[in-house]
Amino acid sequence: MDQFDDRDILDIMHADLQRALKKPRKERRWVMAIDLKKCIGCHACTTGCMSENLTPPDIHYRPVKEEEIGEFPNTAMRFLPRPCMQCDAPTCTPVCPVTATYKRDDGIVAIDYQKCIGCRYCLVACAYGARSADVGRYYTGEFHNQTYEVEDSGEYGKSFKRKSHWHSPVGNARKCHFCIHRVEKGELTRCTTTCLGSATYFGDANDPQALITRVISRLNVFRYKEELGTRPLVYYLT
Amino acid sequence: MDVFGVILPDRNRLAATLAAAARGKGGVPLYLSLLGLAAGLYAIAAIFIQGHAHTINTSNLVPWGLQISTYVYFALLSTGCTFVNFFGHVFFEKQYKPFASRIIFVGIVTAIAAFFSLATEMGRVDRMYNFLLSPNPRSPMFWMGVWYTCYLIAICVEYVNIQTSRHSSRVMWGAFFIAIFTHSTLGSLLGSVSSRVYYYSALMPIYFLFIAFLTGCALTTIIAGLTVKQQKLDAAFHLHPFVTMLRVGLGLALLITFWRTMIGLSAHLEGSEVFSLTLINSVLFGIVVVIVIPYLLLRMGSGANWLIFVGLFIMGTQLKARNDLVTGAFKIPLFRVYDMPEVVHYTPSAYEYLVVVASASLVTVLYIIFERSGVFETRDSKEVR
Repeated sequence: MDQFDDRDILDIMHADLQRALKKPRKERRWVMAIDLKKCIGCHACTTGCMSENLTPPDIHYRPVKEEEIGEFPNTAMRFLPRPCMQCDAPTCTPVCPVTATYKRDDGIVAIDYQKCIGCRYCLVACAYGARSADVGRYYTGEFHNQTYEVEDSGEYGKSFKRKSHWHSPVGNARKCHFCIHRVEKGELTRCTTTCLGSATYFGDANDPQALITRVISRLNVFRYKEELGTRPLVYYLT
Repeated sequence: MDVFGVILPDRNRLAATLAAAARGKGGVPLYLSLLGLAAGLYAIAAIFIQGHAHTINTSNLVPWGLQISTYVYFALLSTGCTFVNFFGHVFFEKQYKPFASRIIFVGIVTAIAAFFSLATEMGRVDRMYNFLLSPNPRSPMFWMGVWYTCYLIAICVEYVNIQTSRHSSRVMWGAFFIAIFTHSTLGSLLGSVSSRVYYYSALMPIYFLFIAFLTGCALTTIIAGLTVKQQKLDAAFHLHPFVTMLRVGLGLALLITFWRTMIGLSAHLEGSEVFSLTLINSVLFGIVVVIVIPYLLLRMGSGANWLIFVGLFIMGTQLKARNDLVTGAFKIPLFRVYDMPEVVHYTPSAYEYLVVVASASLVTVLYIIFERSGVFETRDSKEVR
């Protein structure tokens, strides 16, 4: 187990989370950090996310990019997990014609599945390719064939069952939402808890005592495609 | 104001037209169009009943495919008709007059046909009411919806004015400027997407307007050619404005396509390699086939049949060019993981092709029925200021 101040980081982040939830929502600022030196490319975060959000085929809220860097014989593998960056200046929310996707006051970029018209403009606009269109594919290929394919994922704390292509979130845009349905119940995001290398940090950056605040204030931090001016809330440690 | 016989077909003549078609005297174009419409409606029904997963080849890597390209294509055709109507009235009044009602009518039906295609691309078309209940004024797509509604109203008023022999310059100018706003907004819908270098350009709204003019000229040349043949009009006199406008349209298209490609090639942004990746297609197809060859064809003849052929050639190549434009932006994945290809190739499904057929057939069927029912017969008109 990874230790920080002689404590397991999951315990620390869990305590930080409980403290954050006592504050009004608008005073929280959910942030994620991923330590690329610790990521071993096991894809446990990807599969954990898929089982948590019951994502259909071809939809990965948190894929992991595998890159070979350097030239032979001085080569190495680098893994880059990519959740939604929950940008402070997102490119996806301004383009939505019906305000179905919006920035919450706690930093999460959310999608209202009941408003989304499925125009996919946000997929085109997102600079990170972090959005997917749920067109109604099932692992089994048939509707209602397997219960887990139509179960309620509880995303955004609401009930959505993929019973057919007329039942949201089928027909909608989908993306990572920092497991806000878990977070608001006092649980860490699924990718944080499933990470074998303890590479993922999560918490309230408005809390100066929180582990995440200490982690993202290090010097070896960068944000992906920061030059685009999107001000992502996901930090990478190198 | 008489609606039937002036704005819509006269009931008796419509019945006679339909009866003739039922007796097998409708002519090949009508039957082909009806067949296309039936096949297209089948595809549209299949898309709604079976869902996108089983019918459409777009994906997370290519979120917009042939249906969006078709929407853009028909929307630009409609704009082009409005532009030709404007320039025809302003600069070529006598030569243009026999075609005015036909051209503005086709402008209306192409705008409607554009929505045919768009509706099948939306994941939840049943929620379009959210444009009214939950609008986002920051979104170009929202403004596209607003302007498109205004545009449809304006060209319908223009059509009614032409049909009731009370053509108004104010309405015509209004329709012209609304068309410019509407379809430059459509261009901005792509041009403002900073994450896709292939789209991101201040040239895009102007590109759309110039291409709209070219495709509109091509379609109206076909209509004019058919009308000249049918009504035995003086081809040299009446078709001259269309040849002139087509040449101007080709010149404008060459200018904007060339600079868009050159500026794209000089970019050093993530994803800008798509311009070099598509360079051969951009030059050989986008410039030589789409612009240079039609120009050479225009120089080779000026008869009605030849101009109809040139118009059809431009319209056919423009449809592929619109698809190249819309889907070109997705060739390089933004975040390549797992088994994603380095260059994404998209092939539309049979259902997607049939949606194009449905949109085209809708325009053709309505035009033939209105034409045979005598709606476009020349009337004396007076100009209203």
